[in-house]
Amino acid sequence: MQEIRIPICSDTDIVAARKLGREMGTKLGFSSSELTLIATAISEIARNMVTYAHDGVISFAAVGTTNKRGLLIVAEDKGPGIADLSLALQDGYSTSKSLGLGLPGAKRLMDEFEIDSKPGVGTVIKMIKWNRRQ
Amino acid sequence: MVFKDTMHIGNLEQFEGTDVTPGEISKRKDFLQFRDADIERLLEIRQFSQEHVESIVEEFYHHLLSFPDTKEFFRDPRVLARVKKAQIDYFNQLTAGNYSDDYVRGRLKIGRVHQNIGLSFDTYLGAYRRYLESFFLRLFDAYRSEPEKAVNSFLSMLKLVFLDISLAMDSYLRTIRLQTEAIRELATPVLQVRQGLLISPIIGLIDTQRARQLTESILRSIREQRAKVVVIDITGVPLVDSKVANHLVQTVEAARLMGAMVILTGISPEIAQTLVVLGVNLSTVRTVGDLQGGLEEAERYLGYRLVKDDKATPFQS
Repeated sequence: MQEIRIPICSDTDIVAARKLGREMGTKLGFSSSELTLIATAISEIARNMVTYAHDGVISFAAVGTTNKRGLLIVAEDKGPGIADLSLALQDGYSTSKSLGLGLPGAKRLMDEFEIDSKPGVGTVIKMIKWNRRQ
Repeated sequence: MVFKDTMHIGNLEQFEGTDVTPGEISKRKDFLQFRDADIERLLEIRQFSQEHVESIVEEFYHHLLSFPDTKEFFRDPRVLARVKKAQIDYFNQLTAGNYSDDYVRGRLKIGRVHQNIGLSFDTYLGAYRRYLESFFLRLFDAYRSEPEKAVNSFLSMLKLVFLDISLAMDSYLRTIRLQTEAIRELATPVLQVRQGLLISPIIGLIDTQRARQLTESILRSIREQRAKVVVIDITGVPLVDSKVANHLVQTVEAARLMGAMVILTGISPEIAQTLVVLGVNLSTVRTVGDLQGGLEEAERYLGYRLVKDDKATPFQS
């Protein structure tokens, strides 16, 4: 499977990204509840992108080792960045009156979660969901 | 400072059947740099344009008739004759020097006509390019000795053409907007089941706008129908992320302030699991497995008791 990139700048793009995530996940053999977890994680980070950075790109790729396969999702934006990452990863912390569950929620929904952000430069989030049934 | 970046947007009265205002048109003309000098240049080539318009229109329709998709529009020879005449009138208007409200109204109307007959926007753009080519080649031929004049006239013409295209696009965009709104209205019904009891079955994706509309229509219906209980069923919603959950919680809270209880039904196993992992707190929301259970609970709450009549005769058709 090739890497697929999708630009994100509106609610419609969020829906498209979720759909694409589900499609890729289906090809990788994820169960329906895992697909919902993945789609929700995509939704959370894509919404953050639209709210804070206004636009960015999310890419999807199949990754794996000899004994497991997974879906890698990379979200990149050149937005304002996050000043305090540990605060942003805390449940209930939000600068926009939301529930503050976007980043910590996405982290829990996925298996691997890595975030790199520099104020004024942008944010890169890498996350993987492994397919445990193989 | 709010006022620093605030601009006057001019006359807000829209052209009939459109979202376009005269203020918007002058802003567009400004941005296109369409000025008095352009009007003069277009007037200067008026005679040239009138001399060539018929051969240009012939070429134009020859092009349209050589593709099956566009040929389809002109099967009736009377239609063909009529649109040819309209096309000649339009091309003549391009150099007539009057580009004010009436001109704009005419362009917007054409956009609506295209929309009604199902002419796609890419066909419109493609056809327009064909016209510009015919026009451009003849213009440069006629002004061989004054190439600068030909270039300038053509550039002025382009500004006007881009204005016209933007106006045609407005008609297309407006239709899409109206359709989207219509679908949204349909997609969030709030229905009365019994005195004091409303149900709102939600089908499909909930985006920000739809969530807002849902909240509004539920609260409005609570007031209008004096409802005590609202059952919101989300069986048909494929995904609930933290933002959608937040909207639901806020709707429940606002309904409570109006004296109505919300029962949320139809949370699928996948969504339930996701919401727990996500960490969304729905403990303030009363949830019941399915719509039937939700309605039963609501009826109990309202003091209704459903009794089965064993002697009832089955419905006969």
